[in-house]
Amino acid sequence: MKKFFLFILLFSSIFIFAQSKLVIWCSEKQVDILQKLAEEFKAKYGVVVEVQYVNFSDIKPKFLTAAPEGQGADIIVGAHDWVGELVVNGLIDPIPSFPELNQFYETGLSAFSYGGKLYGLPYALEAIALIYNKDFVPNPPKTVDEMIQIAKQIDQEFGKEVRGFITSTAEFYYAVPFILGAGGYVFKETAKGLDPKDIGLANEGAIRGVNIIKRFVDEKVLDPSDNYQIMDSMFREGKAGMIINGPWAVKAYKDAGIDYGVAVIPNIDANLVAKPFVGVQGFMVNAKSPNKLLAKEFLTNFIARTDTMYKLYLGDPRLPARKDVLELVRDNPDVVAFTQSAANGVPMPNIPQMAAVWGAMNDALNLVINGKATTEEALKTAVERIKAQTQ
Amino acid sequence: MKYLLKIFLWSLFLLLNVFFFWGASFLIQNSYYEMGIVFFALLFLIDFFIFNPRAYPYRYIAPALTLLFILVLYPIYFTVKVAFTNYGTGHYMPRQEAIERLLYDPNYTYTIEEERSNDYKIFVVYDGITPTEDFIVFFDLNGKLYLGERPVPTRRKGREVLLSESALYPVNGEQIQINSQIYSLVPWTGQLEDVKIITAGNKTYKAFYSPKDQFLQINSPYFKSKIAQQYLYKADFVDLEGKKYALRVTSEGEWQFVRIERLYRLGYDENFENGKIEMRMAIYNNKTGKKVMEKDGAFYDKNDEGEEIFLLGFIDYVGSKNFLRIVKDPKVSGPFLQIFVWTFIWALLSVVLSLAVGLPFALVLNDKSLKARNIYRTLLIIPWAIPVFISALVWRNGLLNESYGLINKFLLPLFGLNPVRWMNDAFWARVGVLLVNIWLTFPYMMTISLGALQGIPPELYEVAMIDGAGKFKRFTAITLPFIMAVIAPLLVSSFAFSFNNFTIIYLITAGGPPIPGSTTPTGYTDILISYVYKLAFEAGRGQDFGFASAISIMIFFLVGGISFLNFKFSGAFEEVGR
Repeated sequence: MKKFFLFILLFSSIFIFAQSKLVIWCSEKQVDILQKLAEEFKAKYGVVVEVQYVNFSDIKPKFLTAAPEGQGADIIVGAHDWVGELVVNGLIDPIPSFPELNQFYETGLSAFSYGGKLYGLPYALEAIALIYNKDFVPNPPKTVDEMIQIAKQIDQEFGKEVRGFITSTAEFYYAVPFILGAGGYVFKETAKGLDPKDIGLANEGAIRGVNIIKRFVDEKVLDPSDNYQIMDSMFREGKAGMIINGPWAVKAYKDAGIDYGVAVIPNIDANLVAKPFVGVQGFMVNAKSPNKLLAKEFLTNFIARTDTMYKLYLGDPRLPARKDVLELVRDNPDVVAFTQSAANGVPMPNIPQMAAVWGAMNDALNLVINGKATTEEALKTAVERIKAQTQ
Repeated sequence: MKYLLKIFLWSLFLLLNVFFFWGASFLIQNSYYEMGIVFFALLFLIDFFIFNPRAYPYRYIAPALTLLFILVLYPIYFTVKVAFTNYGTGHYMPRQEAIERLLYDPNYTYTIEEERSNDYKIFVVYDGITPTEDFIVFFDLNGKLYLGERPVPTRRKGREVLLSESALYPVNGEQIQINSQIYSLVPWTGQLEDVKIITAGNKTYKAFYSPKDQFLQINSPYFKSKIAQQYLYKADFVDLEGKKYALRVTSEGEWQFVRIERLYRLGYDENFENGKIEMRMAIYNNKTGKKVMEKDGAFYDKNDEGEEIFLLGFIDYVGSKNFLRIVKDPKVSGPFLQIFVWTFIWALLSVVLSLAVGLPFALVLNDKSLKARNIYRTLLIIPWAIPVFISALVWRNGLLNESYGLINKFLLPLFGLNPVRWMNDAFWARVGVLLVNIWLTFPYMMTISLGALQGIPPELYEVAMIDGAGKFKRFTAITLPFIMAVIAPLLVSSFAFSFNNFTIIYLITAGGPPIPGSTTPTGYTDILISYVYKLAFEAGRGQDFGFASAISIMIFFLVGGISFLNFKFSGAFEEVGR
């Protein structure tokens, strides 16, 4: 009888054991190109790489549930601001340094660093910039004042059928360029990383930044109810002069036949440059994956190479994370303009405490633009709220 | 034929047994003890039902019992269990696993920098022309030659190998004996590079890979994917003095063996408690010699400057802390009452108003003299048929939007009214979410009312008419009590559903507009469940499953209590119906 049980135990083990393949979860944009790269890797290493399509917004939650159980992908393609949460949970592994690491933009590497270690291989940067319709705006504005002037002109001329400027008014992400540009900061940057106890979202700079948004609303350029969907669809229909949006949206505008241009977000004044959040996309390795070593090999000796990164760019044209790849794509004005915007920017904080910031700041903006609270009050409450939730 | 069927059924039963046994042992092996025990219990029960003649009638409830256990009781048990823990961001793994990680994970090792003249060569047995996974490693460590066999697992957790080990045997001559096996190196010159073949018994190991050998570079992918990944990655090679060597990827991207030491070790800690010395297990840092602190369900190490560094968190029992937080934490309990009241109003109005819209439609459709009733009915059911996610977003952006929404742009100006601030005014935001919910649920109310109307015997109306009752009297005295008796339980469940209708609230207003001056993420349209969702998942430090479970349990009792009272109340209607 005992032997029988042993046999069954043994028998059951065999089922799960014999598999050595890498599983990658990525979002729609990278699936096709990664599948091709997987074929190349298979040809060389004899290891099957299975690329699975997961909705971008589902990758992190799915990974958070699957990985602790020892399941889930060996590699996930995601945003750098997941890093803090995943590291704290012990779910992703550091990536060893490799020969051409210095070819990567510092912004990308620091975005994926946590506690002094690199936890992800950056492949694309992302930052919002000013996108304008050349039919209405021949020359993009250089300063906020200029921008308001142009926007008002368009509004008057077309009687609000065509809007001069739209952005998602009450969304922190789209207000960040002005807030950080004027001297606000989310978490103080120290030598050891971000200090979640030092929040600079109610300082003079932040107040000045939020007042710019308020000014847009007060001067009737923006409406409190403007949101992403409105901005996106109006620009696509050729009914908006200027918007602030990211590189992910551009393809749709091109397909819609809009003659658009990309420029950096207008300066706050002559000396203050708008600083958008820079998001970085990259590859991360599951800390509980049985194929960690191979996964790291796949990243450092295969994905990180210039030619692979260039192929990735061709498959999913985003701002490349490698300097030499950007040189190869100089002829694409959009990419260059977005990269300029990203160069002005600040990496979005990658610590888990950031979760509390979004809601608090969105609410603060909402109160300010609706006149329910003064800028100072609203920001003070927001900072208190962030502190209450994170400390 | 009957005989065949019997064989078929018995083999089916055998298969079921095997499946349950396999499932249970698999679950227990992977330390899902509770679920494994549930499987074993089910297996036992089912077998008992089948083999015990007196338990014969029970065999028919076996499938239901199985589903009850797996789909109802286990999740409830799990929720209750989680509610008493700190499970959430930073606390994702059991304590045991966190300790195992600290002790065995390759990330928690440090290299001892010595002269790095290390070189190694992998020898593999070939099967024809294909390499197999039977290999030995020949090392040159600081000028001394060693031989190491394939590492064998020494620490396991379930099926997962945590650590494997192999001994390093110094090589001084052409032949070397390891565990009664004699290996001979050919050709022997005393140099690692020169050895091409190692024979042992009737097996021949051929030179396969070496990082410095140009000719063997071609085998690098096979070495990396089959040998290094599967056997060397979590393996230590230990020499006679106890020095450990392990494969690491150096900063130049080379795969080298380096001398390593584990960062943490288990030790014993003397605690002086109640006049007795107690020994307790603790983790020590090998490099600094300091003890790893354990507090708030996480391990902390001290760095050179004496600062605490978070290492790993684990799932810890926290008692009733999560429940007390609902009451004691002013951040949570502060706006709680306001939201609680609104949740009731929201659920009640959702049910009452959608019934008020659905019932008249049902009455009209029930009128036999109405032509093309089916077409009207189909049209009226459409809102119910469209997925909630889509219609909610259409309402939010297409209808309720303050500047471009149809209502503000066309409908209200038509009547000379001012546009309404649907998203940014507390009152109108509440009206807005109610409006959407009524639109989404009135078809349901209409359908159940229609069904109930079918059951009213027409004779009643005839009698009533003879008695001289008017239309209104007939409605209040016959139709309404009759319908209520049938649909009252459905209304109760629909109340409970609205009470927890997270989707609508979250998609349309996300709880907004915010309540000014509040230090928690609260809005005027937040209902309990959306407020809790924001607290547990969007505020502060990421996810907080323990807290969320505690609140779900509380909401369960709340909704359960309400439903109980409501059923008692609706029982009164039933009396009228009879």
